This record gives sequence, structure tokens and C-alpha cells, in this order.
Amino acid sequence: MLAVTFADLLFRARQFAIAIVGVGLVLALALALSGLADGFRAETNATVNGFGASSWVMSDSAHGSIIAFGAFPAADVSEVARQAGVHRASQVLVAPGQAVLVTGAAGPHWVTLVGVQPGGLGDPAVALGHRLEGPDQVVVDSMLQASPGGMLYLGGLGYRVVGIVEGRTLTGGTPLVYLPLGSVQRAVTGGKPLVTAVATSGTPTHVPPGLVVLTPAAVVTDTVGEFGGAVSSIEGTRMLMWIVAAAIVAFTLYVAALDRRRDFAVLKALGASSAALFMSLAIEAVVVTLLAAILAEVLASLLKPIFSQVVDITPDARLVLPLVAVAVGVVACLAALHRVTGADPAAAFG
Amino acid sequence: MSGRLAVQDLTVSFDSGGYVIKPLDGVSFVAEDGELVVMLGPSGCGKTTLLSCLAGLLSPTSGQIDLGDVRVTDLRGGSLASYRRETVGVVFQAFNLIASLTARGNVTVPMRLFGVPRSRAKARAGELLERVGLSERANHRPAQMSGGQQQRVAIARALVHDPPLILADEPTAHLDHIQVEGVLRLLRELAAPGRIVIVSTHDDRVTQLADRVIELAPSLPDSNADREPEKVTLAAGEILFRQGQRGDLIYYVESGFLEVYGERTDGKREVLSEVGPGNYVGELGPILNLPRSASVRAIEDTAVVGYTVRAFRKEHPHQLVEQQAYR
Repeated sequence: MLAVTFADLLFRARQFAIAIVGVGLVLALALALSGLADGFRAETNATVNGFGASSWVMSDSAHGSIIAFGAFPAADVSEVARQAGVHRASQVLVAPGQAVLVTGAAGPHWVTLVGVQPGGLGDPAVALGHRLEGPDQVVVDSMLQASPGGMLYLGGLGYRVVGIVEGRTLTGGTPLVYLPLGSVQRAVTGGKPLVTAVATSGTPTHVPPGLVVLTPAAVVTDTVGEFGGAVSSIEGTRMLMWIVAAAIVAFTLYVAALDRRRDFAVLKALGASSAALFMSLAIEAVVVTLLAAILAEVLASLLKPIFSQVVDITPDARLVLPLVAVAVGVVACLAALHRVTGADPAAAFG
Repeated sequence: MSGRLAVQDLTVSFDSGGYVIKPLDGVSFVAEDGELVVMLGPSGCGKTTLLSCLAGLLSPTSGQIDLGDVRVTDLRGGSLASYRRETVGVVFQAFNLIASLTARGNVTVPMRLFGVPRSRAKARAGELLERVGLSERANHRPAQMSGGQQQRVAIARALVHDPPLILADEPTAHLDHIQVEGVLRLLRELAAPGRIVIVSTHDDRVTQLADRVIELAPSLPDSNADREPEKVTLAAGEILFRQGQRGDLIYYVESGFLEVYGERTDGKREVLSEVGPGNYVGELGPILNLPRSASVRAIEDTAVVGYTVRAFRKEHPHQLVEQQAYR
């Protein structure tokens, strides 16, 4: 039956090629959506772990989210750095949803400000330029498309861009702008000495009431949790994409099975079993979906740049795609099952 | 498995929309080893149904088929499957080749399904294609071959297991006269000791080649003949004719009333119409040489006159046209 199956695949090459392109596009979108959903975690992971902290002290009102703006007085945690087991402690003030103007840009950009202590935990290592050295300097993510030496304006004040970092975004591709802590306090809290977290190297044993100690993993999970609705919607859309892919394969196979009704009857009359014929259809479905999955891997990589937020297509997602594609193929060919089992060998006479 | 083919009292009936249809009704015949048998009859007379039974693809409602010492109608499961594969070679109407496969591929398929190794199957396919004169077209797909060539590929495919019974369904139906000659010559050659060839056709010219002819729709007495009208008197409830019977007369009602009814598979009767004096029943069967499509019985004591079609036209020249137009 294999010879018949592959001969049929070649015979209907154009029909199957259309299905492969259609399914490939849909699977590529599904893969990209998977990357989008994973992108929330990937960017948060990169940003949080980029601080190099082993623990985070945060207000319990922030529920572990780095972007919740649960500010508290810096004085409350001044003694954290002196605790046994804490080697370093750096104050951090994260202020999401701030508008800035960048030299040469047509309009304002929405960014997340991160106030750090220069030389402390969280002072970002730059890919281009140099680290923060003064109160009127900023280091920005490359998504802001600023260049070292350019100017960034926040709340009417100008800051010189001195360094560029890569992959430092939050909230679905919003670029981070790193400033000295005091500059952010001046812009956001009116100069009050408030912070939203203390990043520590080593774990504090006790913190004042109203504050909690969290691991970086917990901070990532809680921060990503804020986008649960968005991630869930993307996942839902991805599931719809799988269903559309299955429907395209099922439709193609069903049409092929309709075309082959007489062939099935003849093959049965010649001695082929229903199981062998179904296997033939299943192989066609699997070949179509596997080729579509390969096409999707390529297309998804090409699609990535058109998304403004982080699309993190993990190796796991790439590996799972052909496996799911095989499952989709097998499920899809069930649509044509009754055409095979219902084929009457006596119909070959008609 | 070879030898004599004996078909005895073979009946196939099925339910069609609540009515019993009998494409075969008590068919019996014998074919001796080496014979070319032609089954003759118009479309719808049951030729294909009989071939399906002979091929083991359709179980008859009753009756039996014996090939040599094997009762085919008793075969089930694996033994029926191996009968289909090894004992019968079928040449289907309209060739029924797999369009995606080459001529060689089509001939190879039944062997590969039977587990014959690829190289042996290819070699055998080569031999058979040479035998039917198509070795040069072995790598052509059906669409690249003429009807006659496709039919010869179908014959080669039917021969792969060297079966003792070859069934050919309307093998000349889609061919021009030159192609017909080649295919018939081939079928004639195949009918040799050790093999029976059965050809179904509605083309009575093929009978010239046959060792035996079986008419599945026996001719009725000439419905155009000028026979004397038959007077029939029916008592209330008495049946004039039954659904499925063949008949050559149209009945004109002189007195009384007839009920025309369909006999359903659940045993119930469905009354279709009542026919009174001056009207007639049963015209389509004799005109078209078809079995009666309904039964007719007397509602009360009734007198009718049976006419042949020709006699009826002569006796009632306008009525047949008018009533047909009405119906």
C-alpha cells in the first residue's frame, strides 16, 4: 500500500502542496503565538535575572510583581544590607508606564523606568556605550532605537543616553530605561526616598513588617502572572490555529478521499483491508502535516521581526510542533475514515 | 480450485425505500471448465449483481454457487478473502485502474497486497503486460493510454494470480470497434482448460464468441405480436399480477375495480390507485421489458381483458397516449 500512497501523493501533488502552504502558514502563526506567550516570561526572566540578585525584598502589597509599584521608604530596609548572609543590597525603583521623548523620534515612547544604584545590583552591563556614571545619564534598551550620545527627555528634563542594553523589556516589549535611583525618584516620587524593591546578594533572614523576601523565580512568576489574561488569550488563539490547521488537513483529505472512492472500492475488491486503506490516508495526512510543520518553522522565524514585542520560540516549541502536527494529521484523517470503511468493494463493478 | 461453475437458484433481494427489489431472482446456470460464458441482458437486469456474487463481493439472499468442489456461498472471513484474491480475477467496467499508478503499478498492486515481494511482483507484471501486448506502455499512467490499452491493463491485473475464474463486466462498453476486437480476442484466448471466463454485456454481438450464453432477462413473448386478447375474470381479492413478476400484457378493465398497491418489506401494502371500467393497468412492464413495479388485485368481482402492446394500441389507439401523458 505504501507504493499506492506515495503515488497518490505525487499524483495529487498540487492539491497537497496548497494544503501544505496553508497549513504551514497557520502553524507558523501558531508557533509565533506560542513565542509571544512565552515572550512574556522570557523578557521578565531576562530583566529580573539581569539584576544578578539572589533575593528580592518587596512590599507585600506588590504581590511579587516587579511592575506593581508597591513603593516603600528606603530607610525601612537600610539595615537589610547589614544582615549576616547578605553580601550586597541595592535599592531599586521600578516605574512602569512612563512617557519619554528620544532625540530624532517623532513622538513619545512608553517605557518602564528602572532606578538603580550605579555600581550596585541591577546597574546594567551595556552592549554599546558605557554604564551609568552620573545623575543625568540613562542606559536604554535597544528597542528604543536610541544611540549613545543622544538625548532622552523625561518630565521636561533631559538625560544623555550613555549605553544600550539588549533584551531588557517588560510588559510585552516595553523597553526599560535605566537611570540613577535619585533621578527616577525625582521624576516619579517628587524626590521622596521611596523604592519598590531591594535586590540582594544573599538572603535576608528578617525584614520589617509589610515587606517580603522573594526568590527571583517567584518574582518572575508573579510578574508574568499580571499578564495571565493576555497569555490565556494568546494560548486560546493558538489552539484555534491548531484547529484551523487540522480543519485544512481534514478538508484536503476528505476531498482526496471523495476523489478516491472508486479507488478504495477497487483496492478492497483486490484484497486491501479497510485498515490498510486508512493507514494509507493517515500516512498522507502525516506527510502533509510534517512538511507543513517544517515550512512553519522557517516561516515563524521570518515572522518574528514583524512583532513589536518579544517572540521567544523555544526549542521545546519547535520540537513539539512536528509531534503535534502528526497528531493533527491523524485526527484530521478521521474525517475521511467512513469514506474508507464505508467503501463497498462491489461498487468497483458499478 | 478449478473445474465446473454451478450457480443454483441464486436470489439477491434488498430493501429500497421500503420495497423489496430483486435484481436476481432464482438464477441458475452451469459453466464448464475452459468455457467463455456470455451473460446477456439490458441494463438493470442483474448482470453486475451476479458478477459481484461470483466474485465473492456480495452475499446472495439465497441459492448457491459452486466452483469445482468449493461452495463459494459458504465461504466466510479469511477463506472468502483468499477466494477473492486467488481464485477470481475481475475486469471491472470502465477499467477502474488506479489513476495515480502506472500500468505496471496497477498490475503489481494485487500482488503486493498479497505479500508478493516487490521484485517478483514487478517481474510478473512485466510478463503479463507483455502477454497483453503492453510492455512498451508499462510506465504510462491510465490517462496516457487509450481505452483499449487500459482495458488490457485491467485484464493483466485480473491475471496476476492466474485465477481459474475471470469475470469481465461490460469489457467492451467504452471501446471503439478496433479496440473491442483486441479485447475480445484476448478474453477468448484466456478461456482455456483450467479457466472459465464470464463476460457480462448488453451487446449481443459478443455472443458469437461464446461457448455458452446466459440471458438474464429472458425475452417475453413478443409484445408487439398480434395475439388474441385474453379475458380474465377475477373474484374479489384475487391477484392479477404481483410486483416483480414479468408480464407481456396490458389489462383493460371492463367491469369491477382493481387496486394497484406496492408490497413493502415490512409486509404492509401501500395502495397506489384504484382502476375502474374503461381504464387499464400494467403498461410499463411490457413496453419497457421490466418487471412489474406494483401488484394488482380485484377489489370486487372484476372482468379484464389482457392485450399485447401492439394489440392494445390497435384496440385503444388514443387511450394509451392520453393516460401515459396524464401519468
